[in-house]
Amino acid sequence: MTRLGRKLQLFASFLAVSALLAVFGGAVAQAQAPVCSVWLIESSRFMKVPFGAFMPDRAFVPGSTNPNNNIPTVDLPVNIGVIKCGSELILYDTGWKQQDYLKMTGSEHWAPIGEQLKVLGFNAADVTKVVIGHAHWDHAGQLSDLPNAVLYVQKQELAAIEWALNYPEKHIRAINSDPGGCNRTPACGYMPLTMEEVYGKVLKGKAVVVDGELQIAPGVVIHPAYRAHTAGSQLLEVPTSIGKLVFGSDAFSSYEAIRDWMVANVQQTDSVQQFLAYERCYKITGGYENCIAAHEPLTYTEKYPITKNSWVALNGGRMAEIALAPGEKSRKP
Amino acid sequence: MVLAGLVVLGWRHELRSGASPSAPPIVSQRSEPRALSAEEERYAAALWEIHREVTPSAVAMSFAGIIHETGSHDKDQLERKISPVATFFLDAERRVRALGVPPALSQVHNQYVEAMVLYREASNDMLAYAKDGERQHLIDAHDMSITASQAILRAGEVLWPGQYKPH
Repeated sequence: MTRLGRKLQLFASFLAVSALLAVFGGAVAQAQAPVCSVWLIESSRFMKVPFGAFMPDRAFVPGSTNPNNNIPTVDLPVNIGVIKCGSELILYDTGWKQQDYLKMTGSEHWAPIGEQLKVLGFNAADVTKVVIGHAHWDHAGQLSDLPNAVLYVQKQELAAIEWALNYPEKHIRAINSDPGGCNRTPACGYMPLTMEEVYGKVLKGKAVVVDGELQIAPGVVIHPAYRAHTAGSQLLEVPTSIGKLVFGSDAFSSYEAIRDWMVANVQQTDSVQQFLAYERCYKITGGYENCIAAHEPLTYTEKYPITKNSWVALNGGRMAEIALAPGEKSRKP
Repeated sequence: MVLAGLVVLGWRHELRSGASPSAPPIVSQRSEPRALSAEEERYAAALWEIHREVTPSAVAMSFAGIIHETGSHDKDQLERKISPVATFFLDAERRVRALGVPPALSQVHNQYVEAMVLYREASNDMLAYAKDGERQHLIDAHDMSITASQAILRAGEVLWPGQYKPH
């Protein structure tokens, strides 16, 4: 064999080995890829909210036959993600704190987070990590009921609240500027009890102040979404057997809004950043179907397909089983 | 105001027209707030002027703790942040006690006064920590603040129903 022939033979062998490694290595990597199980629980439900107050582009027009404008009010679930990845039990958002508070808000179907977790076969003490999409009172309550969980909150979220609190103009500084509400002012939504619960986690050494992106478990990644709902909003990427999911809290308030590219639940929100957060989900998951919204009225129905495997649980609140890891048992009754 | 108005209009419309197309059948569990008399409304309005500063002051107290624990651990800085809060709650307690209270709201009033006492004592405990470094002061302060915050929520349920909106 000529020298050139030997070189070609060597090169061909190299290619063959590389191809085998690619095939089998890839299969091994896929088999070892982390996969989580995911459920969704309805912490409570805001009842009969005018659609236009939630999504301006869906405002009710009396007599309209346009499907975007013929629904006067919607009921908005407050959704919590329950994510089991190996020995980690992670919550994304924690809903509201207490029943007394709910009576003032037109909210129903609340049940304590610990009781809701029991329905799924978990205990509150099993929760190892809590990622709050933002620190508003309807997403960061009940932290003290999760004694072993480490809280993950964005540095920018805390910085923006502190900035607002120190602002000299009283309406900008106010948590509530008027009895009727705080009209999306900078500190609006950060009520004392919720912030004390955040402080409680910090005081116990069970809080991580995140500055940007952070992987908190294999394949489970926090992505900042600054100003997509609040200054320090954060998304959570989760690998599952049905592909990657992205939880968005109120950056993803509405599934229909992500699908139709409309803003939703504008609070301390930069609408451009909310659209970029939608785009982030499209890029990570390959579309909009696996984007998990916090307040989508269609949650737990066929019209929001990823949440359709649902049932009614405590106090009329609903739950959904979204994805199971290999070997994970169904928790659906 | 626009959002608050929309919410109220929406609820009223809904009472007339029935459930929205997307809403599943539900059983209402919400207790409607009791309408206040004119005298009670005056009390609620007077207390609101204090309450609107109580809430950011309470949150500022939590934040001083958060910044201390996650940042510099500088006790002098903590003292500088808490001192005005302690002064505020001392004054707030005095102002709340001075309000004329309609008889039907005496329980709510007492609840609110107790909250001011707890916030004041909590801020004093944080100042004590800044002086002696004993962490139990911070833990006690936190427990008192939690109780106080629950008390002002309960008072608010009677006086200012709907003060927080969906977020």
